[in-house]
Amino acid sequence: MDRREAIKQLAFLSGGALSLTTVAGIMGGCSAESGSSGFTPQTLSAAQNKLVTVFSERIIPATDTPGAKAAKVNEFIDHMLTNWNTDQEKEHFLKGLNHVEEFSNSEFGSNFVELSKDDQISLMEQLEQEAIDNPNPVPGSDLKPFFSMMKEFTVVGYYTSEIGASEELKSNLVPGYYDACMPYSEVGRAWS
Amino acid sequence: MENKIKEYNISQSPEQYDAIVVGSGISGGWAAKELTENGLKTLLLERGRDVKHGEDYKTEHMPPWEAEFRGRGDRKLFEEEYPMQLRSDVINEYNYHFFVNDKEHPYQTDEEDPFLWVRGYHVGGRSLTWGRQTYRWSDLDFEANLNDDIAVDWPIRYEDIEPWYDYVENFIGVSGQEEGLDHLPDGQFLPPMDMNCVEKDVREKIKNNFEYRTMTIGRCAVLTEPHKGRGSCHYCGPCSRGCSVGAYFSSQSSTLPAARKTGNLTLRPNSIVHSIIYDKETNRATGVRVIDRLTKETKEFYANVIFLNASALGSTQIMLNSTSEAFPNGIANSSGVLGHYLMDHHFRVGASGSFEGYTDRYYHGNRPNGIYIPRFRNINEQTIQDSFIRGYGFQGGASRSGWGRGTNMKGFGEEFKNKLRDPGQWNFWLTAFGEILPYEDNYAELSDKTDDWGIPQLEIHGSIKDNEHSMRKDMAATAAEMLEAAGAKNVSTNENEYLLGEGIHEMGTARMGRDPKTSVLNAHNQAHDVPNLFVTDGACMTSAACQNPSITYMALTARAVDFAVEEMKKGNI
Repeated sequence: MDRREAIKQLAFLSGGALSLTTVAGIMGGCSAESGSSGFTPQTLSAAQNKLVTVFSERIIPATDTPGAKAAKVNEFIDHMLTNWNTDQEKEHFLKGLNHVEEFSNSEFGSNFVELSKDDQISLMEQLEQEAIDNPNPVPGSDLKPFFSMMKEFTVVGYYTSEIGASEELKSNLVPGYYDACMPYSEVGRAWS
Repeated sequence: MENKIKEYNISQSPEQYDAIVVGSGISGGWAAKELTENGLKTLLLERGRDVKHGEDYKTEHMPPWEAEFRGRGDRKLFEEEYPMQLRSDVINEYNYHFFVNDKEHPYQTDEEDPFLWVRGYHVGGRSLTWGRQTYRWSDLDFEANLNDDIAVDWPIRYEDIEPWYDYVENFIGVSGQEEGLDHLPDGQFLPPMDMNCVEKDVREKIKNNFEYRTMTIGRCAVLTEPHKGRGSCHYCGPCSRGCSVGAYFSSQSSTLPAARKTGNLTLRPNSIVHSIIYDKETNRATGVRVIDRLTKETKEFYANVIFLNASALGSTQIMLNSTSEAFPNGIANSSGVLGHYLMDHHFRVGASGSFEGYTDRYYHGNRPNGIYIPRFRNINEQTIQDSFIRGYGFQGGASRSGWGRGTNMKGFGEEFKNKLRDPGQWNFWLTAFGEILPYEDNYAELSDKTDDWGIPQLEIHGSIKDNEHSMRKDMAATAAEMLEAAGAKNVSTNENEYLLGEGIHEMGTARMGRDPKTSVLNAHNQAHDVPNLFVTDGACMTSAACQNPSITYMALTARAVDFAVEEMKKGNI
């Protein structure tokens, strides 16, 4: 039975729509710059990479353990967009990033990454509410709202990273024994 | 196809063995072990690459952050080259190298209602990736066709196979709990794995609320203590990546080492069997024609006895492709039933619910096993159903939700992160596995398309019918009623589309029976028509029951080898 578990336990990533030419338009010909980590995004522009980095860190911030930024969730997202998602999903996601900037500029007068923490959170709360109110933004497709896609990317990217899986949660790749029923206090954190 | 093979240059001299086994998976490994231990020089042919125990388990214990797609696998590659394996939900980034590339190994099926053929072409076959659930059959199963007056009667009964179940279980190691049920006989068990606290509670409540229903821990071919030189389970969880300590039964961990120890085994990977060579004068299968997977060279091997263990459909494909004047429709197919009565177990129906409380309880380790609720429909006068015959069992289990719930949980930020630091509520899921009746029009035949090796592809047709559809309604209802009686909240049923083959328990197509006019094999898995040809994989099954079938293939194989060896001694074959 457990041959199915692995896939079932992982939430399914899916997302956005549009054509390659539209992506090219969104990308606006701007070339990605290498970040300080030496990472060169393949799909995201430098600005989009920065936006994704800040946005994901707001979803899973550094606390007493590192957050999404330290776990390089932005690199995971760029990798998935480049190599895993369909073109339609990729474009839908990139369009979502554009929407964040448009919204940020019209509502708060500057780009998302330049907003105060409170304004960023306020904007994200509005995006989340939109996603809840309209879970199927592209009728006739199974594309999810940008916010849901971004959150799913962040959650999966973070908790499958070494930081998320073994610093924030507890990783146990070779447990050695099985204890079916023990006090939670002896573990203290969820198994990743 | 006779013509096709002659186009290849037969470049080397034939080789002679006492026995040839085709296929190195669960039943082929057993055939090789038993034949070699009986002193027979045995050639074990495997169509795929070699997989060495331990060293070829490249992803064992690999953490998700080392996997390129964090375990999900290369979606584009899977969709393009593994579409059928992908649809079955079993492949992921860590195990897909143990499943066939559908593009390289195509078969034909219907676009609507396709048959899902999930395969592993390599040494060990699906013994590396199987579910390891191990349940005996009983006479409720062996007498079912006779009592229901459908298909043909099994030529054996429980008493014929019982000692072989003992024999196999003692070798492979099966952990399980004795329950004293007539229709799911106890076996030679190693200590059972434990149920967690919610499962224990549910077991009691099912027992108190439902007559004839029992929830037990899964009986599985995973060691709970060291056994015959193999290590016990260390509870890492994902068995299908391979297990270096050999804690679960596979050809690599168990039967192949035993066969090698005799000095009588020759294992030949990359050897695709094209067909069986038949001699009309002696009425014997004299050997096999093999195409080298890599060089495409053809070679012939000869033996006194041949065991087909290439998987239900693989063995049938070879037989259908073994045509001669005597057998124009495939070797040993005078009955015409070869290819027909294809079965599987239907599933993807069940229910789940959550349990309040127990938030101070957790577990350590990933138990590679769940719970089992044996069949409770149509097992006696009191449980007869009007809407369907036969029955189903449930697999399932309880666990606490993990970080995955974060994708659907409202909120973000520090509070969100802190919530996911703790495990979520306890959930319990049940999935039914039901019997599919043997239908003549669920079948496989040779298509006019060939594969890269010039072998006709299989064309496979089939679907479930009224009896199964009625059973599915009952599966969902009883799953929900048990969870509700056990105190679960938010119980929801699920019934998803099921495609024939998806259970990866495909069986039938060369069935056993008493009458050579209506069956391919006799009570000893010996072809009625060709006495030195044996088929002991899933192809031999006359009905499907609802239990996971591998242990029965193993027991039938050991029993058939014992018979074949006796017959050889007597000079009958």
